[in-house]
Amino acid sequence: MNGHEILPYLIIIPLFGAFSMPIVNLLGRKAREAWAVIITGATLAVGSALFYSVWENGILVYTLGAKSPLGQANFPIRIVWEVDLFGAIMVLMVTLVGFLAVVYSLGYMKHDTGLDKYYTLIIILELGMLGIAITGDLFNFYVFLEIMSIASYALVAFRNDTWEGIEAGIKYMFVGSIASSFILLGIALLYGQYGTLTMSYLAVKLAQNPTVTAKVALALFIAGLLFKSGASPVHMWLADAHPAAPSSISAMLSGLVIKIGGIYALTRILFSIYGHSVSMKTVGWVIIIFACITLIVGNAMAVIQNDMKRLLAYSSVGQIGYILLGLGIGLAAYGSQTGEIAMAGAIYHTFNHALMKALLSLIAGVVIHQLGTRDLNELSGLAKTMPKTTFAFLIGAAAIIGMPPLNGFASKWLIYESSAIFNPILGAIAIIGTAFCTAAYVKVLYTFFGRPNERVMKARDPEGSMLWPIIILAVAIVVMGLFPWQISDKVMIPAVKALENQLAYISAVLGGA
Amino acid sequence: MKRTIAYLSLLFILGVLLYIANPNYGLVFGPGGKEWLALRYTDNYYIQHGVQEVGGMNIVTDIVFDYRGYDTIGEATVLFTAIAGAIALLRPWRRDEA
Repeated sequence: MNGHEILPYLIIIPLFGAFSMPIVNLLGRKAREAWAVIITGATLAVGSALFYSVWENGILVYTLGAKSPLGQANFPIRIVWEVDLFGAIMVLMVTLVGFLAVVYSLGYMKHDTGLDKYYTLIIILELGMLGIAITGDLFNFYVFLEIMSIASYALVAFRNDTWEGIEAGIKYMFVGSIASSFILLGIALLYGQYGTLTMSYLAVKLAQNPTVTAKVALALFIAGLLFKSGASPVHMWLADAHPAAPSSISAMLSGLVIKIGGIYALTRILFSIYGHSVSMKTVGWVIIIFACITLIVGNAMAVIQNDMKRLLAYSSVGQIGYILLGLGIGLAAYGSQTGEIAMAGAIYHTFNHALMKALLSLIAGVVIHQLGTRDLNELSGLAKTMPKTTFAFLIGAAAIIGMPPLNGFASKWLIYESSAIFNPILGAIAIIGTAFCTAAYVKVLYTFFGRPNERVMKARDPEGSMLWPIIILAVAIVVMGLFPWQISDKVMIPAVKALENQLAYISAVLGGA
Repeated sequence: MKRTIAYLSLLFILGVLLYIANPNYGLVFGPGGKEWLALRYTDNYYIQHGVQEVGGMNIVTDIVFDYRGYDTIGEATVLFTAIAGAIALLRPWRRDEA
């Protein structure tokens, strides 16, 4: 199938689904749920077809409103979509986890009110992330970042009768809006200096004339996007927002939002726009420093938590540290094989962590749904009464620690290996982070396999719509774990090669495509 | 302590922004003549070709609804999301049944 024909449907389908949801809602509860599942399922189909197409044929450029982005000039005047392999991996990840989260909400959100708004917002959240992943225009990136952010503010505070939901929502909204305005200011500065908003043409202009303004804009971008990705020392909103959100939403927040809005955007801006016009080494080390703080703080804070979802949230911060470490080394060792491996590890870990953290968050949701508590001290002996759920949690926890037969091993190995080659101290820090991470998850598992608490005795495994997404994610983790190096060689390394090849990214748009 | 550092960093950011707001080092304000063509070539294109390519006499609407119409869809979605979110958060509390 031709990628050009299917790419627009990646936006059209969720947009149509979200805007038609208030009308479909008039037909009743069943129609609304079926509609949400159909829309996200169709998006998943389009996303996988797109991934396959980009994987086969390389970079895909699509101009909105014309055949060519150039018009009668030699610079782009229209908005372009530009999907390289990295973007396609993100699209696949978003559509997959988004679909599973919607299916899971059928059972999980049953007792809540206002569900028409809920499904509208969750589809818009997915739409915003897809828009970020495929765009090749800097202002358009901002618009979709805002769509994603506003939908996630509303979804974090969705349970408006709980104090923590509202508190976390307010915190997240204030911090997130400031971070977004940093990004907007950076875009305004770049536009004022260079007069274009297309990423690839901006890269050309930047290479011709690197100015102080561009560096200030880059600093604003890095600051804003580190906020969005939940890097330390600005991770505090995350530790409140993710536990307070409904579990289907924390699966999407932990698994997707912090990566698309943070890691993906940062990578795209650093590699594809700033490419060779700033010192990659300096920027790389800035990212590495934040990565090391994030690694230690996130994982160490995860160990001391008693609240199950808060533990998972801090663990997300810790795992973002690994991804940032890979990204930082990929920049600092740009062009060498070490950098390539580190970046491949970062992309691989992004995908893997989306699956693992979605799985763990969904399981946390099941536990809360069954027992009504998130306190780990009250959850002992869950393995007796909820065997399937506990087993899935075991898989997820082993994968996130990086046990060899599961998918987390390969991605973490790539990051360890490259960091140890690049600088042994960084390797040691990564190992220390994993030690903390292991301690945190062993603590949870120890509780689950302990002596049954009386509260736990009446718990049961959840119904099908909540169990199937968990099973699918667990199977995906195991299957991906069986072919780690094949996936790495066939998908992740080519994705890094495409990302590092800035010239191809630029000429795909400017070459009169 | 934290507050002091915060104010100091705000002061630093303000200083940097003032520095690049100086036309000698950074952004040019009110570019004209040659600078207009060097810095605002995209705007120049829209002004020159807008009427003939799009057909509207108002350049701003030409840009907002044709050249960059996709952004406008995005803005409409932002508004829709904000309304959906506000209604969702202002709905009555769920009754304590369970």
